Amino acid sequence: MANNASRTGPSMLLILACVIPILVMLVALPKFVDTYQTQLLTYGLVFAIAALGFNLLLGYTGLLSFGHSAYFGLGAYSAAFMVRYLGIGSMELFILGGLLITGLVTAAFGYICVRHTRIFFGILTLALSQVLWTLAYKFFWVTGGTDGLRVAFGNLTLLGGLIDFKGRDAYQSFTQYYYYYVLFLFCVCTVLMWVIVHSPFGKALQAIRDNETRAQFLGVRIRHYRWLAFLISGSFTGLAGILWVPLNGLVTPDILYWPFSGEIVFMTVLGGFRTFTGPIVGAVVFNYLKVYAVASTAYWQLLLGIVLMVLVLALPTGIVGMIARIAGKFTGRA
Amino acid sequence: MENQVTRRNFLNSMAVGAAVAVPAATYFAGPRPAHAAIKAKGNIPDKPFKTGHITFLTGPASLIGEPGRKGHLLAAEEINAEGGLLGKRKIETIIADEAAGTDANVKELRRMKLSENIDMFTGVISSGNTPALGPVAEELGVLTLFNDGCTDFLFDKAVPKPKYVFRVTNIQSADGVTSAVGAAKAWPQAKRIGSIQPDYSYGRNVHEHFTLAFQKLVPGATVVSEAWPKLGATDFTPHITKLLSDKPEVLICGLWGGDYVAFYKQALRYGLFDKMKVATTLAFGGQPHAIGKDHPEGVLAGCHANYFFTHPAKGRWPINDSFVERYYKRWNEYPSFEADGAYSALYLLKAAVEKANLLVGGWPEDDVIISLLEGMGMDVPAGYIYIRPDNHQGYKDTVIGMTKNDPKYDFPVWDPNSIITIPIRDITAPPNWPKPGTSHNESTAAANWLKTTWLT
Repeated sequence: MANNASRTGPSMLLILACVIPILVMLVALPKFVDTYQTQLLTYGLVFAIAALGFNLLLGYTGLLSFGHSAYFGLGAYSAAFMVRYLGIGSMELFILGGLLITGLVTAAFGYICVRHTRIFFGILTLALSQVLWTLAYKFFWVTGGTDGLRVAFGNLTLLGGLIDFKGRDAYQSFTQYYYYYVLFLFCVCTVLMWVIVHSPFGKALQAIRDNETRAQFLGVRIRHYRWLAFLISGSFTGLAGILWVPLNGLVTPDILYWPFSGEIVFMTVLGGFRTFTGPIVGAVVFNYLKVYAVASTAYWQLLLGIVLMVLVLALPTGIVGMIARIAGKFTGRA
Repeated sequence: MENQVTRRNFLNSMAVGAAVAVPAATYFAGPRPAHAAIKAKGNIPDKPFKTGHITFLTGPASLIGEPGRKGHLLAAEEINAEGGLLGKRKIETIIADEAAGTDANVKELRRMKLSENIDMFTGVISSGNTPALGPVAEELGVLTLFNDGCTDFLFDKAVPKPKYVFRVTNIQSADGVTSAVGAAKAWPQAKRIGSIQPDYSYGRNVHEHFTLAFQKLVPGATVVSEAWPKLGATDFTPHITKLLSDKPEVLICGLWGGDYVAFYKQALRYGLFDKMKVATTLAFGGQPHAIGKDHPEGVLAGCHANYFFTHPAKGRWPINDSFVERYYKRWNEYPSFEADGAYSALYLLKAAVEKANLLVGGWPEDDVIISLLEGMGMDVPAGYIYIRPDNHQGYKDTVIGMTKNDPKYDFPVWDPNSIITIPIRDITAPPNWPKPGTSHNESTAAANWLKTTWLT
């Protein structure tokens, strides 16, 4: 049993021992920090969901997508369209409708992309995301173009209308409630992803990543599995897009543009794509990094570039990989 | 039809040369002589007055963004030299780069208010960003004086009933109309219009309002060529060759910042300026020295309808003379419209704070400052600015002129004999004109007003 645990990762007990304090901390945090820090962390958690989804492709299936902005943007625009054209304000309906649309488009895009791997896969995902960007950019009478579409939290309701945000200190109460709303969904997504990557399906993906030919000999339907991974990955990122909309208050074509895809890759690499928690840590850290880089210097792009360079050269396993290595040395385990 | 402007009385009303003199105002944008300093009523805290300023510090747009920062800092330094606002509260500024993108700007404004606790927000260049930041400023309840990002969309639709948000530069639709008036006056025979615009809301706005106004002034004019390079593009040759092959007689160009510099240098190689007349909205919009002496003469050079430092000319408007002098001394360059806007924004605030202090004593609440900003008029380097209470928009008479090389400067300036100023009330929708989405669905209130009343 002990042998088995060391092969498949830490034991359940150890995981719970790590997760519970973190969870307690996250739940209690808004009591101790101001509104601004709470909403900043909410952004971080939203991006964490996106990166988690992204990493199912990169870390577990071995496919580097350079077009995940497409699914994030699809989720975001779906929600914004529902506000603008249907007058809907319910977050749950956003999630349902947004996931449906993102799922359908992801399924179609995935069908095209998984026919290829490596650079060809990357280019295809990039190209498809830029098609969506162009549509959002050029059809400005529908999408608002660069002015974007506004989604004010004032008209938003959570939990089927149970919670709304009117009157005094609406922004503060929105930030509080929305933080817990996102935190809950983040936990659901994390557990779900954990189950997926540890299921036989997840193991099959890893087999494809490690040796495609051998996996094929074992009878794994490679293209089908890749397509499913693509679908799940896109849907997670789409959900993040939906959750991001009320938080940001505005959707512009920026989130469909390729640099945002690059940011998702950056987050994942920053945290470490070889570990399950890497993308989560990476997304939260990247969010702080960019916000404070922009706030502190005009050379924020240079700063981010240097971080990325150091990361690739010195810490190829990312933050989590580094911590694991240090912890491994400390406990005397390899 | 009191809002109606006929072609004849409109052309008659166009003042040539200096701006029309305005009544003397107690408050103006610039340091007061020591003996005229105002004594504050009541107890004023000496806590610094924190402002947040977002502007382009990097990329091609920084040609426009940098002067905004410099104008703001100059005003802050001058006010601080008098001891600060009401002689007590020194102005401190937190600056961030607008090039980080709209979403990052939204986060940064929230950080500035919620974490740094700013008293006022200012800056913002891109008209893609004010419609994003305006509603956020209203949500946060932070007093905001945008110095640009002048899209009509902000007060037409994004924040139709502003409380905290003001904007001091002219409204965007005035850009296209001003260039159209200048072009129609200079080249009344030109009927074939070409248009090259950055592919986003500003470019569409210029294209639409220029065309609307030009067609009214030059009956029978039609658009024969359109080119829409992406904002921030560096290669304009495919667009230039397209324009050349369509043979327009007059070209309206809404490119700005580094985009315009790259465009005119590439257009020179193709002899574009010899083959058509060129009208611009922002050729003189960035730092004046960004344009070289290789820039052709006789180009209608727009300045975002607002201000270029050689006008009002030396000796005609002391406020401008001393502003240009102080700005040059501080930054070793000449000011642009953005410098004037950011500079004036702080002095508008200062005037409102001082007036509010005389009324209520002590440090005034935001609500009092806001009520005094609404409807405030003030003399600024560019001339006279008026903040309309209905939409919190600052209005100035617009100005445009032809490029000419002057041995005094290392860059082209306006030919003083070519400058025209246009009363702003004659080219923009009057207060409470129906907004888009109410009784009409034009892109702006101004477009609807132009179509239904102007020169009919």
